[in-house]
Amino acid sequence: MNSIELISIIVFFLGLYGLLTNRNIVKTIVFASMMEVGIIMFWLSIGFTEGMVAPIVASMFEVDNYQVYISDPLPQALMITAIVIGISITAIKTIMFITLYRKFKTTDWDIAKIKSKEVSKEAIQKG
Amino acid sequence: MTTLIVILWLVCSVFVIFEKKIVRMILWLFLSSIIASIIYLLLGSPDLAMAEATASAFVTIIFVIGFEKFFNLRDMKKYLKDEKEIEKENKFKRYILPAIISIGILVLFINFAIPVEQNDYLKNLILDRFTIDIGGENAVTAIYLGYRVYDTIFEALLLVIAVVAVVHMSNFDITKVNDGKHSELETSGMALFLVRIVAPITIIFGVYLIANGFLSAGGGFQGGLAIACFFVCRFFIYDIYDLPIKKINRLEDFIFIIIVAMAALTIFAGLIQQVPYRFMTLAQEIYLFVMNALIGIKVALGFIILFYRYVAIERN
Repeated sequence: MNSIELISIIVFFLGLYGLLTNRNIVKTIVFASMMEVGIIMFWLSIGFTEGMVAPIVASMFEVDNYQVYISDPLPQALMITAIVIGISITAIKTIMFITLYRKFKTTDWDIAKIKSKEVSKEAIQKG
Repeated sequence: MTTLIVILWLVCSVFVIFEKKIVRMILWLFLSSIIASIIYLLLGSPDLAMAEATASAFVTIIFVIGFEKFFNLRDMKKYLKDEKEIEKENKFKRYILPAIISIGILVLFINFAIPVEQNDYLKNLILDRFTIDIGGENAVTAIYLGYRVYDTIFEALLLVIAVVAVVHMSNFDITKVNDGKHSELETSGMALFLVRIVAPITIIFGVYLIANGFLSAGGGFQGGLAIACFFVCRFFIYDIYDLPIKKINRLEDFIFIIIVAMAALTIFAGLIQQVPYRFMTLAQEIYLFVMNALIGIKVALGFIILFYRYVAIERN
């Protein structure tokens, strides 16, 4: 395990800690995006050696031993889709929060939970 | 060099955790994403570096606009009152237990992580064969348009679903975008001047990335994000909602169907193998260019709709 892999895992778990300790919904969404950057960094840094070049034909001629000094294209292709999906999921999370804020007027998970229980109780009593 | 920048990234991430104000938190996140994109470049993946840089800019815009509309991000007094109401809670349950859980899983992960004995078989196979099998000169583009085109279709489907969800939840019928109304966002003259300079460069860069995607670093996703950023700049310059969102939404669904049909015909049904050997390279390059262009247009349209829906939500 090289140093970049280690630090990216640490960043992922820092995000997890922030996710568990904060009651503010906005902060939770921000920490989720931070965890995502950590995951992408972990995938890219597997098998890293100093002085790597991109997997493009033109740059293959720049290095001597291209099988060692060229970066692995497969995780890169997977992570490009992950980045685009990550933005769209962040957008969905934000719009869900805005809808919740319109209904309950709060940014707190616990208060939102209590209020949603009250709403569901009233709905059951009404039938 | 690389290790130094990685440590800088870690420090920025730590600042995100211990920041109290939300505006500063979002800006720290933006900074850490930009530093991460520099590290991607050093790790040998310029494609991802460009995608991450545009993506972090877009996410910051979404955060700032989405939250600025609802409560003034600079004074969060309303939010702080909520914090004080449940202050009597157990400190152990609140802070120490999550710390123990995260550190425990971290230690377990590092302890039981499989030591990667660099299995180079698949990497070398792809690097040796991609110019013959798929064509083009960029291995990343060859993978996501050739060997793993199914992933790309799934990603496009997820983007369609995201757009549908955002349009549905933002009360599309109540708050219309296309009535030519001016926005209520504050604008500053200096930022506007910069945006006016940057906007034309952005769209030229996006078109270049899409057109040149199979020859060097770039491709549909990055180019599409850059074009979407151009439309964000356009909104800030003219300050008006005038794009026909419903037509754009229909066009996006139509392009998704074309992408699926094209991938199914050329790769799954093997139409590209039927081409005579002399025209093989030409056919492959046409396929890569058209797919990149379609994906770029689709991503751009999707993110334009997302941005305009966020802008359209009125402050209540």
